[in-house]
Parts: sequence; C-alpha cells; structure tokens
Amino acid sequence: MNIIKKKSWQISENLVTPKELFEKRRSFIKLGAASLVASGAIMELLAKENLPNITLDFIKDENKNALKLNTYEQITSHNNFYEFTTNQSAVKDMAHTLKTENWKITIDGLVENPMEIDLDDLKKMLTLEERIYRFRCVEGWSMVVPWNGFTLSSLIKKVKPLSNAKYLRFETLVDSSSFPDQKRGVFATLDYPYVEGLRIDEAYNDLSFLAIGLYGDLMPKQNGAPIRLVVPWKYGFKSIKSIVRISFIENEPLNTWQIQNPKEYGFYANVNPNVDHPRWSQKKERVLGSFLKQNSLMFNGYEKEVASLYSGMDLTKFI
Amino acid sequence: MKRFFIYLIAFLPIVYLLFRLFILDDVSDPIKYIYTITGVSATVILFISILISLIKDKINLMKYRKEIGLLGFFYAFLHLLNFMVLDALFDFEFIIKESLDKPFIYLGMMAFFIVLFMAITSSKTLFRKYNKYHKLIYLSLILITVHWIMGQKALSIMQYIYIILIIIITYYKLQQQKNNVYFK
Repeated sequence: MNIIKKKSWQISENLVTPKELFEKRRSFIKLGAASLVASGAIMELLAKENLPNITLDFIKDENKNALKLNTYEQITSHNNFYEFTTNQSAVKDMAHTLKTENWKITIDGLVENPMEIDLDDLKKMLTLEERIYRFRCVEGWSMVVPWNGFTLSSLIKKVKPLSNAKYLRFETLVDSSSFPDQKRGVFATLDYPYVEGLRIDEAYNDLSFLAIGLYGDLMPKQNGAPIRLVVPWKYGFKSIKSIVRISFIENEPLNTWQIQNPKEYGFYANVNPNVDHPRWSQKKERVLGSFLKQNSLMFNGYEKEVASLYSGMDLTKFI
Repeated sequence: MKRFFIYLIAFLPIVYLLFRLFILDDVSDPIKYIYTITGVSATVILFISILISLIKDKINLMKYRKEIGLLGFFYAFLHLLNFMVLDALFDFEFIIKESLDKPFIYLGMMAFFIVLFMAITSSKTLFRKYNKYHKLIYLSLILITVHWIMGQKALSIMQYIYIILIIIITYYKLQQQKNNVYFK
C-alpha cells in the first residue's frame, strides 16, 4: 500500500486559494483598499491601469511644458456632444450608436484638389503625431489630453487652397440613426449640422490639429470619433467632432454657437480670462477630477504661438 | 411615520452626493455636480412645498409644510456655500462683483435671500408677524426657474418637459388663488 505521508510544510487541499481567485488578488486587494479609504492616490493608480492599448504609431510629444495629463477615464467620461445629450456624463453610454465604419470626408470649395476621401486613405497620406494640449471648455472646466492625429496644415497643403480661400468651414455628420438628438425635429437642442470655422491663417497654425485618437488608441466615439478638430487656444466648442466635410470658402462662416446665441458666442472664441462670458466669469477653470480651481491663461497658455494672429483686433469685440 | 419618510427622502440627494464624491470618487467636475444636485433638490423641494395646500384633500402634509420648506432652504444654502467656498474660494471681492454684475448670479442671490428671510421668520412668533410676506415664495420660484434656465447653455428636451411641468403647477396655483378669493 502506498501511503503518502504529508510533509510538515504541506497544507491541506481545502486551504489552497483557488487559481481564479489567486489571479484576481490584485484587483481584489485594490478594491478593498479603495472602498476603505477611497483616496485620490489609489483611484489614480486604478485609473492608470484603465489605459487603452496603444494601437497607433506616432511621433511622441515631449511634453515640454510638463502638463499633467487627465486620466483616460476622465477624458472619456465627461463629454459635451449635444447630438447625443446635454448631460456630459451620459454621452459615454449613448455614443455606441454612432456609426464610424467606412467614414468619408469631403473636402470642397476653393481648392485645387477637391476630394472625397476614405478616412483610412487619409491616414496613410499623413504622419501621425501626438499632441499634449490643454483643453478649456467655455463652461469653465478644463483638462489636458494626449491627442493623436496630424496637423491641419499638412492636410491643407495636400488640397492646395486657391488664393481667394479665406476661411475653412467644418461640418459634423448628420445621421439620425447615429445621433438621437437629430431625430427630435423642433425639440432638438441645436440646429444641425453642427458647423465650425477657422480663418485660414488660424488653420495653418502649427497648433491646429485633426485628431483621430487619444492616449495612443483610436478616438472613442464620445470624444468625436473618428476624426475631430483640436484648436487648443480656443474654447472647446470650436473643436468640432465627427467631421464629414471641410469646405474652403471666401466669407466668414456662421458657426453653430454663434447662430444659437450671437450675444454670447462669436466666431473666434479664443480663451480669454479677461473677457467674461455674460453669465459667468472666465478668470478661472475647474480642472476635471479636482475640487480646486486654477487660473485660466490667455489663449489657454498658447499666447506665444497664436497672439500674432490677432494683433490689432479688439478681443472684447471679437469674442 | 410620515415625518420619518419626509426626512428620509429629503436627505437622499445629499447622501447620494457625498457617496458619489467621496466613496465612488467618479465625479469628473465636482463643483458643477454639487451645484446641480443641491440646486435641483432645493428647486424640487420648494415646488413641493407650494403643492402641499393643493393636494391636502388627498394627502395631508400641512403639518409638515414648514419643515419641508426648511429642507428646501437647506439645499439652497449648500448651493450658495458651494459658490462662496469652492467656486469663489472666499474671494469676497469676486463674489460681490459677480453678484452685482451678472444677472445669472444676482437672480439666484435674490431667490436665496427670499428663502433665507422665510427660514428666519418661520418660528411661531415671527411667522405670525411676517406670514403675509411668505407669498414671496412665488417670486422666489420664478427667479429660481429663470436662474436655472440661464444656467444651461442650450435647452434640451428634458428641460422643455420640466418647464411644461412648472407651467402646469402655476396654472393650478392660480386656480386655487382664484377660488380662495371667491369663497372667502
């Protein structure tokens, strides 16, 4: 008879932690710790591990200004995207209806090479970069986002604007099966399509960026997939989402918020702590994820790069 | 028992707010979120306080009307505190300037001071003297509604529904006032 004699250090089988529990131990420990103290530091650790896989290939931003990034969780859970809802924290769960497959962009108007191009083809034509930018919403909140995409100027150079092209006009998709608010007719929050515009010298500025991703992965739908504008020295509503058309035109286009409320919103919408919104102060901003406010910066901290675009303009008038 | 339920329901928003802020820690814009929860709670409770006399034949809460009003004041006070402490960081120059400058702010302030006056004069002795001024609650509710609409960047479908609801309440209150005049 073969009797197995237990060694002194062996423990009985029922004391062994099951494999699947053992593998979950880290999240289990963190969960316990988080619920005990729920301290910012632990939540930050958890948030770090919620990063997406890096699927894009791009030139990294050195982050010379040492900006502190907001977490992926914060950036993708707080969105103004009125085509879905005005509730910023609800966009994330609604955005799945946006259909981004086979996305095409029309570039037309006063250009030598007008085109209707597949987004995938466009991506192959241009060099992907990372840009770590401050983002300041006109409502008074702000964040720092690592975008991935390409400069708007690199695209403009491909289509070759004519000399009388003075402005760019951008349009968001209109598709009521993608966007619930576009089904509501007279009860819709805004007039669609959402329209934004830039002066052509603003568009040529190296900061003007077309983003197709963030944190190294493709753009989440709630953040304006598959391609959006990012103009970091202007209030967030200028950074139009889910772009389907870019037109080169001669006269200043009317942008959505200017149509909606011309007393409060203009064409330029440069971040300016010295000019209040009629209903609230713009001197400070609430950084996402923080109880504390910080001072807002002239041109959102990009004065050196863009102030010359507006020399001689009265910025209290050109809001 | 009724009183227990009133307090239970009335304190749900603050408990929920604290839970989201400090336990779940998932609120991305805390100052704005505190404004929303305290503002909505104050508005809803104050509207309920004027509905009590309308529904008294069905559910009689007349005995608790004062307490319900004070609970509304409690949330309005937290709302103002959020402005002074977290939003303005006790910068009184800024607070005063904004309060004089911006209709959005001073309409809210006026609404608050009406509710504050009512809270102060809600004791038995003072109420006897000042109750005729408590009709100011209607002015306060109008100011609150305007303040709330001004707080939005654009009105969405839900907000249209709330506005319709407020108009219905106003209609019934006006009917009630008319009846009171005729039958007295």
